[in-house]
Amino acid sequence: MTEILLKIINEILDRNGKESLQTLDVQLSLRNDLGFDSLDLAVLTVKIEDQFGIDIFQNGIVDKVYEIINVVSRSE
Amino acid sequence: MNLFFVDEKRNIFKTYDDLIKDLNGKDRIREKIYFENPYDIFKELIYSMAMGSPVELIDSDFSKREIENLPMDYDEIFKEKPATKLDIKDFHDLIKRINKNKKSWGLALYTSGTTGRPKRIVHTLDTVARSVKVCEEMRKKIWVLAYNPTHFAGLQVFFQAFFNRNPMIYVFDQDRKKIEPILQKYKVTHISATPTFYRTFIPLVENSILSVEVATFGGEKFDPNLEEKLKGIFPNAKIRNIYASTEGGSLFGAAGEVFEIKKNMEHLVRISEEKELLIHKSLLAPSTEYFLVDDWYPTGDIVEVVGENKFKFTTRKTEMVNVGGYKINPHEVEEEIMKIDGVIDVLVKGRKNSAVGNILVAEVVKNDEETEEEMIKKIYEVLSFKLQKWKIPGTIVFCAEIPKTRTGKKVRT
Repeated sequence: MTEILLKIINEILDRNGKESLQTLDVQLSLRNDLGFDSLDLAVLTVKIEDQFGIDIFQNGIVDKVYEIINVVSRSE
Repeated sequence: MNLFFVDEKRNIFKTYDDLIKDLNGKDRIREKIYFENPYDIFKELIYSMAMGSPVELIDSDFSKREIENLPMDYDEIFKEKPATKLDIKDFHDLIKRINKNKKSWGLALYTSGTTGRPKRIVHTLDTVARSVKVCEEMRKKIWVLAYNPTHFAGLQVFFQAFFNRNPMIYVFDQDRKKIEPILQKYKVTHISATPTFYRTFIPLVENSILSVEVATFGGEKFDPNLEEKLKGIFPNAKIRNIYASTEGGSLFGAAGEVFEIKKNMEHLVRISEEKELLIHKSLLAPSTEYFLVDDWYPTGDIVEVVGENKFKFTTRKTEMVNVGGYKINPHEVEEEIMKIDGVIDVLVKGRKNSAVGNILVAEVVKNDEETEEEMIKKIYEVLSFKLQKWKIPGTIVFCAEIPKTRTGKKVRT
């Protein structure tokens, strides 16, 4: 799952003209560390939903990478 | 010192005295306001009011193509005319001039039209500032401006703050992690924003913000989870939901999702047999581009009546997609994608999204010359120069054919 998540995050970073990540630090904040704005978060949500069938924002607001992993893991 | 405008990102701190000095220093006037710097937008807007000179407001992130589509000559928007220098003595003198000249002043705004071209709406001071409350009670308030300054909601915050001589702290494009410290530092009392804006900074809030007395959200569908979160962050605040449009201004307020039609508005609001909310034309800002049915303007909002003069919104009737509070016409986006080499057909539609309400999805039929990856890259490269970020589809998927109805219309559901 981490690999797919890294790929999705890198696609969004690439679109924003930012450097890709080599590895995924689970403590990373999407907003603070990766500079994701609301549209980036929306794209992330959609891509994760397409891959894992879960809406990560459905039951609250996530920010850290480990929070995404937790939400997705719980649904599997 | 009476603060007028703070924009920490651009290092702008202006008092009302600074504003008056800046206005008195001007000797040129614009008919079109198209600035990146929000202080320049408001300075020019106030200047036009003081001079009684009509003005048009254009989104600062509109591309050349989007401006030409208004339609408007791109070079025209930068033109300035010589103007007589003002000698404004103080804030009261400024307000006196604005009131004296208000009959000759007008504010043209552009809003997403159903034809693919934005609609031009001209407000008077009375229609644009209809819901502004100027009173002793509002004198000591401190506002945060978290909307796009050229959009109707942003203007509402501006007029409310300005006419009460309140400070306005600009955070619309501020780094989200700095928003809580800014709200704490300036002891902000009033915040109004889209649900999308709140969602992006809520996770970064570490301490409750006690100074906030009223937190308003509007522009998108009501979100009960968000309301709960706001109560936690702003424990002393009343949480309000507002329904406003560029055409009609601020019309209804709600606690929760149930909107109430006030007694004085009863005869100006109707709900059609198809459950569409209709607004009487007398509530609308003048425009020649409205589609009216017997003096009533169909809003495109489908509502459910939940009691006498009470209703809640259920869905939208039109094809417009609300992305984070921005109403987007999918036809405009399709038109741009169709111009890209290798694209055979395209359908742009909304997909529900818990972060921004809806997100745009483009279904593309392409030729065989490029791979899907190459085509995605090309589409994003082209669109980033031609459209505002909100109009660019969040995802692009490829398909062999776009389904059409019997009459040849693209199926958008």
